[in-house]
Amino acid sequence: MIEVKNLTFSYRKDKQALHGLDFSVGEGEIFGFLGPNGSGKSTTQKILTGILKGFGGKVTVLGRDISAIRTRDFFREIGVLFEFPYLYANLSALDNLNYFSSFYPPEQIRDPEELLEMLEFKRDFLKKPVSSYSKGMRQRVSMARALISSPKLLFLDEPISGLDPSGAVLFRKIIEDERKKGTTVFLTTHNMVDADLLCDRVAFISNGQIAALDTPKNLKEQNSTRRVVVEYLQASRPGPESEGKAWEPCAEKRLTKILEIGELEAGFSFPHGEILSVHSQEPTLEDVFIRYTGRGLD
Amino acid sequence: MKLTFFTLLKKDFRLMLAARFFLLAAGSLALYSCYINFVYVKLDDEMFPVCCFDPDGRLEGTADPVINVNTIEELTAACGDGLSAGIDLSGETPRIQMVSCGIETLDNLRAACAASYLTSCEINSKASWASSAELRSGASLPTADSGSFPPAARIGTDDREMKGRREITAEFLFFELAAVGFLGLAAMLFKEKDMGAIRIHAVLPVSGTAFLLSKLALILLADLAFSALLTLINVGFVEGLAVLPSVLLQAGILSLLMALVGFFCAVVLPDFKQFSLLYLVLAVFITTPVFLAGQLGIEAGWIKFHPMYHLFLAMKRAYFEIPNTSLLYYAACGASIFLLFLLAGWGLRRKMVREG
Repeated sequence: MIEVKNLTFSYRKDKQALHGLDFSVGEGEIFGFLGPNGSGKSTTQKILTGILKGFGGKVTVLGRDISAIRTRDFFREIGVLFEFPYLYANLSALDNLNYFSSFYPPEQIRDPEELLEMLEFKRDFLKKPVSSYSKGMRQRVSMARALISSPKLLFLDEPISGLDPSGAVLFRKIIEDERKKGTTVFLTTHNMVDADLLCDRVAFISNGQIAALDTPKNLKEQNSTRRVVVEYLQASRPGPESEGKAWEPCAEKRLTKILEIGELEAGFSFPHGEILSVHSQEPTLEDVFIRYTGRGLD
Repeated sequence: MKLTFFTLLKKDFRLMLAARFFLLAAGSLALYSCYINFVYVKLDDEMFPVCCFDPDGRLEGTADPVINVNTIEELTAACGDGLSAGIDLSGETPRIQMVSCGIETLDNLRAACAASYLTSCEINSKASWASSAELRSGASLPTADSGSFPPAARIGTDDREMKGRREITAEFLFFELAAVGFLGLAAMLFKEKDMGAIRIHAVLPVSGTAFLLSKLALILLADLAFSALLTLINVGFVEGLAVLPSVLLQAGILSLLMALVGFFCAVVLPDFKQFSLLYLVLAVFITTPVFLAGQLGIEAGWIKFHPMYHLFLAMKRAYFEIPNTSLLYYAACGASIFLLFLLAGWGLRRKMVREG
């Protein structure tokens, strides 16, 4: 679906934004593109959406060489959700969707009301101007705008931003559903939880270079310390053997112990009272990101 | 393509409605029309006082404003204020006598005013009049002998009110299209920019040219409708209809030029504050000299190189039914519209890349 080979781009001669990116996105894949501000995410997305020209390397999107296209057919096959919910504030949700959908062939267009219902948009606001909507409602209409043309390739920039927790869960479900239909999703985000939950593969971009590219699971496994932290109550004295208890618990004292994964095979062999919790020490995707790039996502 | 363009037109129309563009235009139309009909046409500027020493009673049948004096000394005294003009008919050749006010254009007008009475009583045909003005201030008055002071002649058939109506309507229309129209389109585009519309259109299957053309078409239609109404209401239905084709042509040219300049500035400048500053510069340094030159007759050789001056004159000519046949003018307008269109398209694409 997307093939990027040795992609370079400079805004000025002395300011190279992208330094030879290489990646590909398969059909029906959710691909996460993660990086801090100024890392080159937006530049890459602008190139992939056909807006920015004058780049080096080879970029193929939907089977077309992106440096040569500026056709309507290409834009009919992509949907883009921007970080901010851009809409005509003087028009209602329905009018906005009807306006934007009118640029696409009728057979491609989804029913605006059905889409808004799927996005749990409040029906009372359907015909009210967007200027009266909350940020979450605007984000829902923006998502509907991106989906209304049934795109084959969906570019999502911070899709969960501005949503409450239930809205975030809903959006993740909708993105999953799109993938099930065969839509390819190029997801740009700061949110590592979204990336972890949604993406089949993620690429970490920093200073215009891809620092790592793999599935979230592999990235975490490769950077795992393979340890667990056990929290337990201290055993105060040997217990009565008749009751099968080696140690009596001492309720006042909580202790922790770090165990290598291999040690667990033998069970909890150290003196302990009640086991309170066992925490895996597997790194989060953010930890992995910092490890690869040396910087956070702010 | 047709459907896309219609959709864009519909959206822009709704944006204009939301921005109260039509309400403002209607307000301007009402304000201009009320001023012209209830104030301007009732204004009656005092003519230059004309005194006449006519011992033989040759100046018969002249209009009332002429003040008759009995001696040449009285005439000299009456014309000594730098405002009045005197006619001395004691000799065979009529003489115009006055004291220069220091402004050559105004002196010429005073002389022309006095000479017009000679023309109206047909003395002009009997005597080869010459103006041998006595100028105490030393300023020279052109004479018929030198060939630069032609005898007064009637031009056109308008009465004073109709002349005033044509003149002020032309000026209001020029002002409305040059200043308000320019601001209207730019304000609309800034609103769209703020709403992120340019970003969205960068990834829609619609061309930047169509985006630009729909706005231009709508602004042009609105301006033409405004021009037609302003003309018909204030010049009169019959007279207005007669000048309407040429007025609409000039209005169309001016509207397109100003809309394109407004569009370009709105896509290139980052915010409305900077645009307002540019607007101020445009109003003060570009449009004002044109008004001063066109209205007050302040002479400035360089004004001929000011493009707005030619547009202003063309608008006035259209209202006074003077044909503007200068091919150079129309070629320059056409080329300017074409170049501005390319420039505006380039600005839009640049903005789309930056914001998209």
